[in-house]
Amino acid sequence: MSTVEYIGEHLGPGKLGQFFVITSFVAALFSAFTYWRAVQAERTGIGESTWRSMGRYGFIFHTVSVIGIFSVLYYIISSHLFEYHYAWEHSSRALPLKYLFSCFWEGQEGSFMLWTLWHAVLGCIVMGTARRLETRTMTIIAMVQVCLATMILGLYFGPHIRVGSTPFLLLRTTMQGAPVFSMPNYLDFIKDGNGLNVLLQNYWMTIHPPVLFLGFSSTLIPFAFCIAALWKREYTEWVKPALVWALFSGGILGTGIIMGGAWAYESLNFGGYWAWDPVENASLVPWLTLIAGMHTLLVYKATKRSLPATFLLFMFTYCLVWYSTFLTRTGILGKTSVHAFTGDGTALTYHLLIVIGLLLLLCIGLLVTRWKELPRVKSEEETLTREFWMFIGSFILLLSSVQIAITTSIPVWSPLAKWISGKDIAPPVSPLQHYNSIQVWVAIIVGLLSATVLFMKFKHTDGRSVWRRLVTTGVIALALALFIGYEQHINAWQYCLMLFAASYGIVANIYYAIVIQKAKLKKLGPAIAHLGFAMVLMGILLSSFNKHIISQNTLGVLMDMGKGSDAANARESADNIMLFINTPVAMQDYVITYRGDSSSAKDPRIFYRVDYVRADSATHNVLEAFTMYPDAFVNVKGQVGITPTPATKHYWNKDIFTYVTSVMDPSKKTDTSKYESHLVHKGDTIFINNGYIVFNGFNTQVSDPRYKPQTGDIAVAALLSVYDMKGPGQEMHPIYYIRSQYENTIDDTLRNRGLYTRLSKIIPAQNAAEIQIKQTDPKDNYIVLKALVFPFINVLWIGVIVMVLGFFISIWSLLSKKSIITRRETL
Amino acid sequence: MKKSHIVLLVLVAVAVCVIVSMFGDFSTYETFASASRQQGKVYHVIGTLEKDKGMSYNPHVDPNHFYFYAKDKSGNVDRVIFNGETPTDIEKSEQIVMKGYVQNGEFHCSQIQMKCPSKYKKDMIAEGKPS
Repeated sequence: MSTVEYIGEHLGPGKLGQFFVITSFVAALFSAFTYWRAVQAERTGIGESTWRSMGRYGFIFHTVSVIGIFSVLYYIISSHLFEYHYAWEHSSRALPLKYLFSCFWEGQEGSFMLWTLWHAVLGCIVMGTARRLETRTMTIIAMVQVCLATMILGLYFGPHIRVGSTPFLLLRTTMQGAPVFSMPNYLDFIKDGNGLNVLLQNYWMTIHPPVLFLGFSSTLIPFAFCIAALWKREYTEWVKPALVWALFSGGILGTGIIMGGAWAYESLNFGGYWAWDPVENASLVPWLTLIAGMHTLLVYKATKRSLPATFLLFMFTYCLVWYSTFLTRTGILGKTSVHAFTGDGTALTYHLLIVIGLLLLLCIGLLVTRWKELPRVKSEEETLTREFWMFIGSFILLLSSVQIAITTSIPVWSPLAKWISGKDIAPPVSPLQHYNSIQVWVAIIVGLLSATVLFMKFKHTDGRSVWRRLVTTGVIALALALFIGYEQHINAWQYCLMLFAASYGIVANIYYAIVIQKAKLKKLGPAIAHLGFAMVLMGILLSSFNKHIISQNTLGVLMDMGKGSDAANARESADNIMLFINTPVAMQDYVITYRGDSSSAKDPRIFYRVDYVRADSATHNVLEAFTMYPDAFVNVKGQVGITPTPATKHYWNKDIFTYVTSVMDPSKKTDTSKYESHLVHKGDTIFINNGYIVFNGFNTQVSDPRYKPQTGDIAVAALLSVYDMKGPGQEMHPIYYIRSQYENTIDDTLRNRGLYTRLSKIIPAQNAAEIQIKQTDPKDNYIVLKALVFPFINVLWIGVIVMVLGFFISIWSLLSKKSIITRRETL
Repeated sequence: MKKSHIVLLVLVAVAVCVIVSMFGDFSTYETFASASRQQGKVYHVIGTLEKDKGMSYNPHVDPNHFYFYAKDKSGNVDRVIFNGETPTDIEKSEQIVMKGYVQNGEFHCSQIQMKCPSKYKKDMIAEGKPS
């Protein structure tokens, strides 16, 4: 085989990057081993500090290497070195700077790198703060880093076995055999990269993945503390750091998940912020178990109960994080998910399964050996205590996550089901309904518990004061729920219950914060987090229950959709509205008009200008007028069709959410209309689409910037007035002149009406003129639009912010002094 | 027995009931033929686009009506009506998963998910209007 000397390649960065990949792997391995030796040396006390500092240096070296990998890859992407497969595949020259980082998480390797980076950073913090648990927690963290580093190793054992895939592969290596690589100067032909998926070109996508991955990564820390505690047989020291990290993780992961929702809401055409999509579920499930574990840990801290449950939940959480990676990265969801990554083959599947297997082995092994000696409280707990109901609440969260996990995992277990029952099981036909009908009960129970547990004390509660508070807040909440339910027409009984639960959560948590905790900020972490959660429930309920489509089709011909009745047929064809250019269409309270599209050379998107006017139906006074610019990538990267992103008008109490579902293909846009001649006398009228033109005679004193007079010219302008439904008339002055015996014309155009006029001939004897008129056919330019209203969606967003604030207030108060959460409140 | 254990047992029992009842909610993958046995019931059908038989979308007439022909796994070709606009890149799809029901020999579908040959692109999904 002859080798080709390639010209113009930059091989240095790739080699450096691969070097960092190897060192990060080796350093993590070294760190894990030496920390493990430090744990071993604890018993004898000999050499412990040496081993430990070796572990530290190893981990720091690992962190530096990971940063090195990142920097090199960033350099490759930002310098557009398309000889590297990663840069070619995920970026392009036109990509704005702010999206360069998004290239990292479009690809598999980049996502693992991001994960590794966060682990490394968090690991360094743990290293400095875990004190007597450092050696054990860091052994675990470094071990996980070893596993993650193998994901980007890209080592080949023989032709078929590959361990990991490196981001520094050359394009010519990944596409061996492509004819272009037989040329030494192949780089001259690879001018641009494949580019970033247009859906990721959104500012949420620059911030959502790092936050989500930080959330995922941070679940490692409570897990590591669990393992460390079991390993050391020491069950008190780990509680506080694990709690702080669990709070941190809960806050960040929650933020990351909802940012994904915000991204979906702003740039996907799901028509919403949550679709129970498998990828969304995969991140929600670990969050639920994490929150459950956090609560049982609080119970343990205050009462010494629920320790086994806490261990189980944190371990479950971390294994689920890996499991969700397995679900979303291996393509196993292929048939069911919108944005599951296409599979990278069986290598990754087995690789992830091995890691999950190792984690499970570690967890089960430790639990089995320690189970009997775990501290337990013998006495029976009372029913009217905080720990009892907190435990129930955690259990409900766990059940909720189990339900979501089972349905999401259908593609995983359906082969088994097929083998047993012969049925090829598919996901539910309407996933929204499926999940909602079950999860609404979780929302109701958790919403009710979220405030009620705060009224109770740990260990022993005075029943009367609890009941008094329950009744007081319950009555207020009922009044609030009745008011909202009546106003918002919430008429399904399950959702009425959920409305009450959310109202109660809001009222009772505010009551608790003000009346019981006297609004002392440091003590308000739980109340604020629970208040935020209740607001999230309220926001979800109000925005989803009354979400409605306002773009009812009033133009379209009723199609026979094979439905029994006309009404059913109409419903089927009704949700998109067709807008011809400059033709106003009524859409519920609004009259909307498509005014044209705009595209710029800098932005690959096309923006569609749609004017909204809301007028008083009696007086026709304009109450409100605004313009929205939904946009779309049209025929991008050889696709046929459009990738729309929505535009949203925000009100305090609702959002109007619109997106373009179809447009006239701009490549097929041609001007089919022709000039038509009209012979007119002064005062005559010409009828046009939507209006008419009046010919008011001639102006022989032509002074017009478009016309430069010369001596000997004869120039005449026609005076035309255009009237149509759009209010005041406009003047048009097409010009006709004779220069050196030749006839010339200068057209006049009203672009906003698509109207062209030409004075083609004058007949002075009759004081008449031949006017030629062309109108662009509005049917040549149209968009199909969909518009939805989300009522009170802001309650949801504010609720999330409040909830996360609650998490961080709790962390702050935990770190600044003795915990408020476990202190028995003065009720 | 502790009270908490009783409550947990009750909860587990309820959960088991819920999970068992969930199975009734799950759909199955069918072919056009097996789906037509239960007219009007919604199933998932996996198939491929039959490009030669043509497709049509005419938003001037109805922006929510697109039809094409698809061949299911057993080789039967059926006309598919989708209540929405032409899904992006359907011509390039190598596999489509359609969610819908059979009525009068036609498959009415409300959701199409496409698997595209390019490894560099994610799968795409197109949502129609609920019928």
